[in-house]
Amino acid sequence: MSYSDVLLQQVINGVSLGAMYALLALGFTMVYGIIELINFAHFNVFMVGAFFSMWILKLTGLAGQKVILTGLPLVGVLLLALVCVMLFCGVLGVAIERTVLRPLRNVPGTAAMITTIGVSYILFNVILLSQGAAALNFPNPMPAVVWNVTGGAVLKLREVLLWTLAGVLMLGLHFFVRRTRMGKAMQATAQDQEAARMMGIEVDSVVMTTFFLGSALAGAAGLVFGLYYNFASYVIGYTAGLRAFTAAVLGGIGSIPGAMLGGIIIGLIESLGGQLLATRWTDVIIFSILVIVLVFRPTGLFGRMMIRKS
Amino acid sequence: MTKMNRRQLMLSTVGAMALVLAAAAGFGPAQADEKVVTIGIELPLTGADADSATRIKNGAIMAIEEANGKGGAGGYKLGVTVLDSGTSTAGQYDPAQAATNAKKFVADPNVIAIVGPEMSGEGKAMTPILSAANLATITPSSTNPDITDPKFAGQYKPNGKAIYFRTVTTDAFQGPNMANYMRDTLKVKSVYIVDDSGAYGVGISNAFEAQAKKIGVNVMGHDQLDPKEADYTTIITKIKGLNPDAVYYGGVAQAGVKVAKQLHEIFPSVIKAGGDGMVDGGLLSAVGFPAIEGWYCTQASPHVMDDASMSDWVARYTKEFKMTPSDYAITAYDAVQVVVDSINRVSAGGQPVNRDTVRDAMQSANLKTLQGPVSFDENGDIVNKVISVFEITHDAKSADDDVQHQYKYIGVAPESPTS
Repeated sequence: MSYSDVLLQQVINGVSLGAMYALLALGFTMVYGIIELINFAHFNVFMVGAFFSMWILKLTGLAGQKVILTGLPLVGVLLLALVCVMLFCGVLGVAIERTVLRPLRNVPGTAAMITTIGVSYILFNVILLSQGAAALNFPNPMPAVVWNVTGGAVLKLREVLLWTLAGVLMLGLHFFVRRTRMGKAMQATAQDQEAARMMGIEVDSVVMTTFFLGSALAGAAGLVFGLYYNFASYVIGYTAGLRAFTAAVLGGIGSIPGAMLGGIIIGLIESLGGQLLATRWTDVIIFSILVIVLVFRPTGLFGRMMIRKS
Repeated sequence: MTKMNRRQLMLSTVGAMALVLAAAAGFGPAQADEKVVTIGIELPLTGADADSATRIKNGAIMAIEEANGKGGAGGYKLGVTVLDSGTSTAGQYDPAQAATNAKKFVADPNVIAIVGPEMSGEGKAMTPILSAANLATITPSSTNPDITDPKFAGQYKPNGKAIYFRTVTTDAFQGPNMANYMRDTLKVKSVYIVDDSGAYGVGISNAFEAQAKKIGVNVMGHDQLDPKEADYTTIITKIKGLNPDAVYYGGVAQAGVKVAKQLHEIFPSVIKAGGDGMVDGGLLSAVGFPAIEGWYCTQASPHVMDDASMSDWVARYTKEFKMTPSDYAITAYDAVQVVVDSINRVSAGGQPVNRDTVRDAMQSANLKTLQGPVSFDENGDIVNKVISVFEITHDAKSADDDVQHQYKYIGVAPESPTS
């Protein structure tokens, strides 16, 4: 494996990580765009999504890496898991919004944000107490298909699946926001909540849709995480979540294309930073970027495209 | 029941409660009819280490039950207090909780000795507190050499006397001996080292690295992992690019699960080795076969489990606890035997049974246990130093998380290289 192959392989690793961060970052950015709330519960909605998709896959009779499926059964099982986990996490997100965040919507200050941290801890501890702290084996029905890109760098089926899924979901979201009636209502609410309400837009249902979509994407990220790493553990929310949050800030919080680009950049920094320096420095680099962006360009990369707040 | 009787019963109940309260308040257990001394057990029973810790606890509990069945030790019944050092914030053993547990043991005057902890990170936090109270502990599995190293006496035994005894040897042997074994037997010429940033992981991998360099193995790098991180593909891709003969992992299950899974995905052809942190039933089932197949691991104790003389013990353990024993269940059983023997000798010598006398008796222990003869040097380290090597080999007849059958014993790692 030559050095250029290693670098190419790290780029493949980085884009895969980045696609996962991007899926997660979208949830942060959408909620912030609509109600200017940083939703820390999002971290652990993702983590619950990983566990939920593990249960679904286990219900279909998969265990560990022993059962390998191909063709239609594979697509069917993965689609079933995807639909179930997106619905489940979407509903979980709506439930969080409806029960604890809506009563705090018009409370000024950081009360709502602190509440999301509390919700995050509840999800974290519920999974810890019910599932235990040890990592659990996540079923993986995908055959070990490997393409040689160059002499040494390889592309695996799981990476292609991850990229495709992330791409399709992000494009879908993009068109939903740009083209549909509800998407336009979301843009209007993001621009000016009061004016939108006066124009007859039901702000409450817009907010609920936003939570549903963001959390459903987190659930999809949870499934993808499990298929990619083949384990589920209650701690996965924090490291991935904090980096996804950094990705959202880097891209410009509130901006959907920004979250996608930010995710990919953070993923590449993580893999190439680990290659060129040492893995223990990657968090230092990533969170330094968070600080630098917040100090020098608080609007992020896509800051100018951000919708101006009244 | 007559009125009188009922009143008598109530009076005696109140009296008994008062007695219990008095005893609890420290007026002395001597007032009770049956004399009891307590052995503390301190292990990370929840979290990522729960599987191995539970097997260790069962070994100790079994020894205490059997001693009580034979009338206790030195005229005392043996009580047990079990404290857990696993916390939700750490997700595995938590040194801060271990320190709190040590304080709890010190505060209970009945506790005259402890068995534990499992992890060296716990041991480092506990020893200053135990030393101040002269309360001795015997660890059945913690192998970081610093804790008993005279160089660090001011930190880990400020009171001067050894209070941290071990029925296993240390990473000063576990790491280096494995380096010898890998070069001599596995023909490893180059190695990349990763550790999990914990006290044990850093210690064992540094000891391994020093010896590997000394005997001419090319150490291509040494990286530290964050055990809560999910993604190690970056570091493993980097390792694959360097193409070493072997990867050595120093650490416990939390990071070990992910290292094993991702190594299997990205760089399956490399020789994979670790220490006793890779011996864990939870790790076996979380990684799963075939990903975990072929890992080499060590245990810092003689492997006696398969001996014919042990079959009865193994059967008793398996029957009582519905799980198979690990080698460190045996060393935990041995640790209790040392405590029992020490209490017996103190009592036979006509001395009062307390922390000071029991510690002194432990220091001069010399008895035959399951693993063989156990005696300690002046620092508390076991004199008989054996490192056993295992290879994870799938035994389809046993459960995937069966530590007794999925780890195949393949020999002893030598203390000095053969050439």
